Amino acid sequence: MIKNKKTKTKSTKKSLKNKKVKKSRTAKKPQKVDLVYGLVPKKKKIIDFKRETSINFTLKLDWKVKHDPGQFMMVGIPGIGECPISICSYSDQYVELSIREVGNVTKALGNLKKGGFVFARGPFGRGYPMHYFKGNNVIIVGGGCGIAPLKGVIEYITKNRTDFKDVLLYLGYRSPDDVIFEEQLKSWEKKFCLNVSYDKAPAKSCYDGKVGFVTELIRKSKFDNKNKIVFICGPPIMMETVINILKKKKFNNDQIYISAERRMQCGGGKCGHCMIHGVYVCKDGPVFRYDELMDYKND
Amino acid sequence: MNYVLKKEVFSKFVNSVLKEKGIDFIAPVKSEQNDIIKFQKLISFSDLCLDKNAYYPLKEWFFKKNEVLFEFKGDKITIPEKKPKPKIFFGVRRCDLNSINRQDVAFSEGCWDPYYFLEREASTLIGYHCFEKEDNYCFCGSVGLEDHYDLMFYDRGDYFLVEIGSKKGAWFLKQRIRFFKKTTERLSARKKVIKNANRLQKKNIAPFYDHKNWKKGVDLCLGCTSCNTLCPSCYCFEFKDKVNISNLKNGKRIREWSACQLKDFSEVAGNHIFRSDREHRFKHRIYHQLQYFNEKHGKHLCSGCGRCIRGCPTRIDFVGILNNMKTKKPNVKKPKK
Ligand SMILES: Cc1cc2nc3c(=O)[nH]c(=O)nc-3n(C[C@H](O)[C@H](O)[C@H](O)COP(=O)(O)OP(=O)(O)OC[C@H]3O[C@@H](n4cnc5c(N)ncnc54)[C@H](O)[C@@H]3O)c2cc1C
Ligand code: SF4
Ligand code: SF4
Ligand code: FES
Repeated sequence: MIKNKKTKTKSTKKSLKNKKVKKSRTAKKPQKVDLVYGLVPKKKKIIDFKRETSINFTLKLDWKVKHDPGQFMMVGIPGIGECPISICSYSDQYVELSIREVGNVTKALGNLKKGGFVFARGPFGRGYPMHYFKGNNVIIVGGGCGIAPLKGVIEYITKNRTDFKDVLLYLGYRSPDDVIFEEQLKSWEKKFCLNVSYDKAPAKSCYDGKVGFVTELIRKSKFDNKNKIVFICGPPIMMETVINILKKKKFNNDQIYISAERRMQCGGGKCGHCMIHGVYVCKDGPVFRYDELMDYKND
Repeated sequence: MNYVLKKEVFSKFVNSVLKEKGIDFIAPVKSEQNDIIKFQKLISFSDLCLDKNAYYPLKEWFFKKNEVLFEFKGDKITIPEKKPKPKIFFGVRRCDLNSINRQDVAFSEGCWDPYYFLEREASTLIGYHCFEKEDNYCFCGSVGLEDHYDLMFYDRGDYFLVEIGSKKGAWFLKQRIRFFKKTTERLSARKKVIKNANRLQKKNIAPFYDHKNWKKGVDLCLGCTSCNTLCPSCYCFEFKDKVNISNLKNGKRIREWSACQLKDFSEVAGNHIFRSDREHRFKHRIYHQLQYFNEKHGKHLCSGCGRCIRGCPTRIDFVGILNNMKTKKPNVKKPKK
């Protein structure tokens, strides 16, 4: 995205030249709008479509692109619109997106099928700087849709397992019916210390497991703050509660990483929609070290 | 080297540029119906109006109200070829020249916006200096303006003193050198100061974010977004997909101006609105103009043109609101980043 300095000077010269050409009124080559900015999406094939729940699904795109866990794409369908979606995988072969149907675009995406196409641009933003955390214990706290970007983190850790010590997962779902990444949970359970919670039992079922918020699991847990790094992603109220609990456990602000969600249009730090007190969530985030963005809840 | 353009040849100069093919001459023109001054394509020299700054800013020429980003036909995307016509902008005031520079910064920060810069590169900006503030709404003297122009005209009674600010300006002048004479005259910085235009007294507005006066002042806001639209610096935008009614698979994606004073500017899924009250939205605009941008780029986004106050139906004067906040008892809760 930033490699365009050259393009700029080049085209400045070109346009000056153009002017002279214009004076002599000879035909000139039209300037081509270049795509560095990434305003124009690319067509990407869906190589797998998986329904996770009645309103959640995961798309796998044939897209070989380098990215960090936590970065996001602007995904959409021309004529309907686009919206920001976190990359929930970590691979140089494909990109996975896990989406909840809440509105126009997300519902339209939900109607697609394997073999179909989406239009996407990205990756955007700053993800989790994983190489900084080598040698640390990692605690991952996710709620609902917020588990999607964390799946990328978990896949990164799986690929670089020796770089990290203990990995604790705390994942909260609304109910057993709302579980996304059910298959992956089974394998995570074997590799990491996995804790799953459900806010409530499903309406019509004979589920008799434990019920409670993920925050309660963390409150009861016995870990301390030594060599630990915490990633939290979920609804603001959940992130706030978790941060408060961590503060009681003597965690420092710079041990905590949060994700902010804002309305986004451009993804490139221009349109202004995602700004929080001068910080662009799309460009400076969406992942922030907590001390960089203490005010994530407010305007 | 500075140049002189005699007033008696000024009309000849303008008329000769008007006659040039392949160039548009854009200048402030007063509308006959409502006396409003607006930048538009000049047809005849007598339409040129330099009495006051234009009511509408210049930004729509570069940062278009409706910019077609691409067109789509089903699965196929085509980018329209844009060949902007070279344009000379004449009579641009110091505040607006600075605002254009701020938009240059915004649209080149991080990544470069091709749609904006195609137009910018095709433009030559010729400034017209104000020696006196236009009315009580101007406060350009308080926001630290810089020199950003291709050519600058200083009205010296029976002639214009012309300064060159860029290669583009020099090139433009060289092509029309027959109208100009070289001179050794120079205006000192002190002579260029725009008088009585430093109404905003606060250098740093950060400590006043939680001040109670904001609410009182902002209660009058109608949320009409005139302030955003009239501001030459505001650069927020959004995308819209416009489809053909006859074939919903075809259409185009458009970039439009958007306004931070509207609620849905910060609305996300679940109908959550981050800046749901007017005070926060208003403060967001002011703080972006006078603090956030400065923290990143070392200069204010606001150029002190006063349009957002002049054009506000209830004349909410944020400069007055800020001036009335007492330093002694600020609520020192500085907004955290
Ligand atoms: C960095 C980031 C990562 C995200 N990752 C995921 C993810 O992995 N999975 C997932 O399911 N969701 C994710 N979201 C949320 C997702 O972007 C919204 O659910 C989506 O924008 C809703 O779009 P829609 O067109 O379907 O809804 P709409 O019909 O447009 O409206 C539904 C609601 O979404 C709001 N909205 C519209 N456009 C945007 C926009 N561009 N940005 C934010 N809100 C908007 C509307 O104001 C409205 O309240 C993420 C959001 C952000 C900011
Ligand atoms: S112009 Fe005035 S009334 Fe309209 S949105 Fe701006 S501050 Fe509010
Ligand atoms: S904020 Fe107001 S005074 Fe400042 S540049 Fe914009 S319109 Fe002019
Ligand atoms: S999404 Fe446009 S500035 Fe962040």
